[in-house]
This record gives sequence, C-alpha cells and structure tokens, in this order.
Amino acid sequence: MKFSFTEDQRLLAETVGEVLDKACPPEAVRAAAGRGRPGPAWRALADVGLLGAHIAEEHGGLGLTPLDTVLAYEETGWYAVPGPLVETAVAAPALMPAEQLEGIAAGAVTVSVRGAYTPYLPDADLADVLVAGTTVAARGEVALTPHESVDATRPLFTDDLDAGAAAALGPEAGTAFGGAFDAAALMTAAQLVGLGRRLREEAVGYAGQRRQFGKVIGSFQALKHQLADVAIALEFAAPLVHRAAYALTHGAPTASRDVSAARTAASAAAHRAARTALQVHGAIGYTDELDLRLWLNRVWALRSAWGDDGLHRARLRAALLDDPSGPRTVRLP
Amino acid sequence: MDLTFTPHQQEFREEVRAWLAGHVPAEPLPSMDTAEGFERHRDWERTLAGARLAVVSWPEEYGGRGAGLIDWLIFEEEYWASGAPGRVSQNGIFLLAPTLMAYGTDEQKRRHLPRMARADDVWAQAWSEPESGSDLASLRATARPDGDGWRLNGQKTWSSRAVYADWCFGLFRTDPESERHHGLTYFMLPLDSEGVTVRPIAQLDGEHGFAEIFFDDVHVPADGVLGELGQGWKVAMATTSSERGLTLRSPGRFMATADRLLELARQSDDQTLRDAAVAAWTDSEAYRLHTFRAAARLAEGIELGADSSLMKVFWSELDLRMHELALDLLGPRAPVASRWLDGFLFALAGPIYAGTNEIQRNIIAERVLGLPR
Repeated sequence: MKFSFTEDQRLLAETVGEVLDKACPPEAVRAAAGRGRPGPAWRALADVGLLGAHIAEEHGGLGLTPLDTVLAYEETGWYAVPGPLVETAVAAPALMPAEQLEGIAAGAVTVSVRGAYTPYLPDADLADVLVAGTTVAARGEVALTPHESVDATRPLFTDDLDAGAAAALGPEAGTAFGGAFDAAALMTAAQLVGLGRRLREEAVGYAGQRRQFGKVIGSFQALKHQLADVAIALEFAAPLVHRAAYALTHGAPTASRDVSAARTAASAAAHRAARTALQVHGAIGYTDELDLRLWLNRVWALRSAWGDDGLHRARLRAALLDDPSGPRTVRLP
Repeated sequence: MDLTFTPHQQEFREEVRAWLAGHVPAEPLPSMDTAEGFERHRDWERTLAGARLAVVSWPEEYGGRGAGLIDWLIFEEEYWASGAPGRVSQNGIFLLAPTLMAYGTDEQKRRHLPRMARADDVWAQAWSEPESGSDLASLRATARPDGDGWRLNGQKTWSSRAVYADWCFGLFRTDPESERHHGLTYFMLPLDSEGVTVRPIAQLDGEHGFAEIFFDDVHVPADGVLGELGQGWKVAMATTSSERGLTLRSPGRFMATADRLLELARQSDDQTLRDAAVAAWTDSEAYRLHTFRAAARLAEGIELGADSSLMKVFWSELDLRMHELALDLLGPRAPVASRWLDGFLFALAGPIYAGTNEIQRNIIAERVLGLPR
C-alpha cells in the first residue's frame, strides 16, 4: 500500500505547469473566446509530450498510463487550457485509426468527441476530425450548428453525424468507446480539481487583500468557514480522482465505478469552489473585467462534459445498489 | 502507487477477521456509560489484549505487535466491519498513549502503557473547564509545587467516561503569572486520589457519559508530570500532526457504517435517499483513500500539520450525515431504539468534541489557507 505518485509522475505535472504558466496566462484563455483557440498552449503541450502521452511509442507518443498523467491534467485545469484537449489527447487515441495518431501527438491534428448521451461536440469548429460514439468523420464532411455556451472559450456544436455520412470505426468500437469515456471522464475530473484549486487560490488571495470595515475580509469567520469548506471538498475529491486513475491503469473491475465516484466528487468540489470564489469577490467577481470568470465558466462547462452528474450518479447507483448478483461492496483488492 | 496489500498484511487481515468472528459478542454490550456496561467493555478489552489485538501498533513490550500504520488501518477496518464493541479505553490508547510514547520517561511508559493496553487502567480526559471550552488556552485549574510533588485545584468538565474510569490526564496551570497557552503542564493522576470528586452528568441519551471533576488540593507526585514543566500545551498538541491525527478516527468505522447504509438504501425506492447514500459511501471511500495518502506522506517524513483539522471536519460531518440518512431511510421506525439511533446520538457529538468544527474551520482557514487571524 503506497498511495503516492512517482518522481516521474510529479515531474511531468511540474513540467506541464511550468510551460502553461508561460503559454497559458489568463490573456491566452480570454483570447480563446475569439480567434485565439486553441492558442499557444497547444503547441507547448505537444512539445512536452502531453498530447501524445496516451499514444503508443510506435505512433509517436509516450505510451503513458492515466496514473502517469492525472496530475498533469490537474495542471491543465488550473490554467483552463483552451481547445479540445481531453477529447484529442485522451479519448481520440482509443477511437481513431492508428495512422492518424502521430498527427495528434505532434499537435497537428485536433479531435472533438462526443458520446451518444449528448448531442454536443465541444470545439468542433477547429477540430480536424469529429467522433460521435463509434462514428469518425473529417470535419468537412459534417454540417455543424453552433450553440451559445456558458463558456465562450469552449463553444458547442450539434452535428449531423450518422452511419451514412461517416465511416464506422469497427466492431470493437463499442468497447473502445467505453474505455475512452472512462479515461476522458477521469481527466475531466482531474481538470475540475485543478480548476477548483485555482479558484480557491484566487479567492484566498482576494480575501487577503480586500479591506472593509477597516480589516481584510479574509479575517471574517463567515468567509473563513466558506473557504475552509472549499479546501475540505477539494482535499477529499483528489484521492478519489487518483484512485480512479490507478483503477483504470490496472484495469480494475471497479474502474468505471471509481471514475464516476471521482467525477461526481470533483464536480461538486469545483462547483463549491466556484460559488465561494464568486461570493468572496462580490460584485467585481460578477464582471468580465476580472479573469475570475474564465475559471468559473470553465467549471460550469466541464461539469457536464464526459457525462453529467446524473449519468455518473446512475453508474454509481448501478454499481453500489442495483446489482444483486455482484459483490456487495468492493473496496480495494 | 500501489493499492494492494502485502501477503503478510493479507494474512494479518485474515487472522483478525477470523478471531473477531469467533469472539465478538453476539448481542451488543450494554452502554459503556453504565456501571455494568463499563465493566463488560473492560472485559472485552482484556479479551482483545489476550489475543494481542488491543493495541496492534504499539511495541511488543507494552502489549502490542509493533505493527505499522497500514496494518493498524487493516485492523480497524476488520474491527468495525465485525460489529465489535466500542473501545472503552480509547481516550488512553489513542490520545494519551502517543503523547506518552513521545514525551514519557521509560518508567512512565513501563508503568502506564501495559495497564492501559489491558484496560486495567481506563483513562479519562481532563481538558475542558466550565469557562474554557473552545477557548481551551484560557483554562484556570492550577498546580502548585508541594514538596516533591504538586497540589492540584480547580474544576474540569465534559470528561467522557470519568464516572467509571481509573485515571485522568489533562492540563493545569503551573505558572500562576502565565497567560493563555504558556505556563501549562500536562498531568496524569488516579481518579481515586484524595480530594478528587467526580460528579456524573447525564447525556442526551440519559446515560452518565460525562462527568465534572473537582480537584481540591489533590496531591500528585512528581512522576505525574508528562513532559517538561510549563510545556503542557506543546506536549498536548505535538502529536496531533503525527499519527494521532490519523488515529483519532480511523476510516474503518465509517466504511462499516457506509456499507450498512447501502444495505438500507437497497431496500428503499426513494431515489433522493438512495443517491445520498451512494454519495455518503463515496465520501467514506474518499476518507479511506485520504488516510492511505496521509500514511504515505508520513512514511516520507511529511508531517500532517493542520491537515488533521480537514480530516476531523470531514469524518465528523460524514458520520452524522450517514446516521441522519439511515434514520430517514428507516422512516416511521426512526425513533424506535436501534443501533442506528444510538449511532445518531453518538455522531451528533462528533462536530463538538476534539475541537468543535468551528474551531477546526478557523484552523483550516488560518493554517492551511493562510488567511489572517
């Protein structure tokens, strides 16, 4: 029993954090709402290998596991990296023909992916390849309809993808999509944890400098206790995310359940962090002038990405309550 | 990351499970806050100690097995899953013992630890005073030098199990000029010392789970002092950032409750409560994983520090939420005496004892997040 990460795993996250600190400042995220998507962060993530992390070495990737990259994905959440990152670098490698993977690892090919449970493809306008469930198509073959989204840096599109308009992936695609879904939901959870931490940091920073009634507002218990609750929620969501990465990496029978547990906890923690950060900032937080809204909106966008809370709750109910033949409660091996 | 247990740990788990299956009383023991129930719980502790299972993480010379933290967590998981009785010796073995091992003289350790492990001595805490609850550092009970020893005066309160316990430990002011957390000293003394009066206080459930302790010129010999004179606050708090932060409430207890909660939820068609039960189970899993992570960090030499405050708020509110949910799932049966109802009344105390959750949230805000006092 050793619930900790290796030096290499921590180092990858550190490296990703360092390059994003330069390539993905708030201005870059802000620019992504216009023509600046995916922006310089994409190139930087290709250079450090994150785009090819889940692609085999023979196809130009690093052949890493979810456990290897989950901390790095927390960093991508902290920086609110624009573009279909999880779709391209986590889901697509499990869904696309091998000959297209080199382009993904190199940062030359972007992919938008959706499951059958949602009509919306994120960032489909800039993606080279679109995947809907088991169907893969080049963007040019698909008619896209844009929809206004809570997060302008992550626009949503509906498509006309069907069996006639696109080539099927193949018979094993059904199971492949399941694997892609779990990995993508996990990394979305990791991003939500990172976003939550960023919002906690922003809120604590503001509470420590804004003065009212002659004191910094962070000295008031009413705010302290709200921020403490954010810290608690994030502190206990992270181990679930890390455990799900472990379960996926080792093909544990509980992997899907563990992913959904991680996803619901991360979603709730990030939402709490978002609500609290906004409340701590007050009216200035409720404006476009402050960068805060970049992280707020991303949280609200990602909470329904790769399965909304309802989908993941249903999977948890099925695993824990509804399977009379299954083991009652499987904890760790 | 490795979330598997070693073959040796698996064997230990099997041994504990088999032993508990053969020894846990079929009927729950009477409340440990009654005279009869207290002695029955003391007997149970002796049975545990006979199998060297009372304090597995302690050194062998004091009655333990020298087991590591992970083994102790395994023991706890099996213990609570088996439905075994609550630990009447918990104040001693979980709160005093880590401090005693860190600050006690060899003689103090030899004298107290083996008796504590067998529950020959059951210990009560003497921290709070009528005017010093959350603001513990304002405490006023005194200890003045008297020959080789000390004379204690003052009043302590909310001392769990002091009605039937044998010894108590707590802080007394040895420097009359001192203020706040300065000038305090950590004392250990028998509750049958001359000048000690214990007055029982009935709790919510009507049992005498609390007591006030009055000290009227009580003589305590020099070896009743634990750690350095005037350093009592530091001595009392030092171990909170080490294993004690973990051992106050191990995950096993909440995992067992969560599993039983799922059993109830499976029989319900109330989707709101079913979802809430699933969420609570997930939280119990989060607490378990967080504890394993903390164990890994301790192994790397990283102190828990104020993290133990995060844990205390989390488990106490989880425990209460699970019992509230269970009562909701029981519906009309909720007010009828049951294990869930007992558990609910006990869980209600969680956010209050061991530092209220309001104090813990202050600590989190100030020491984890760095907000100003």
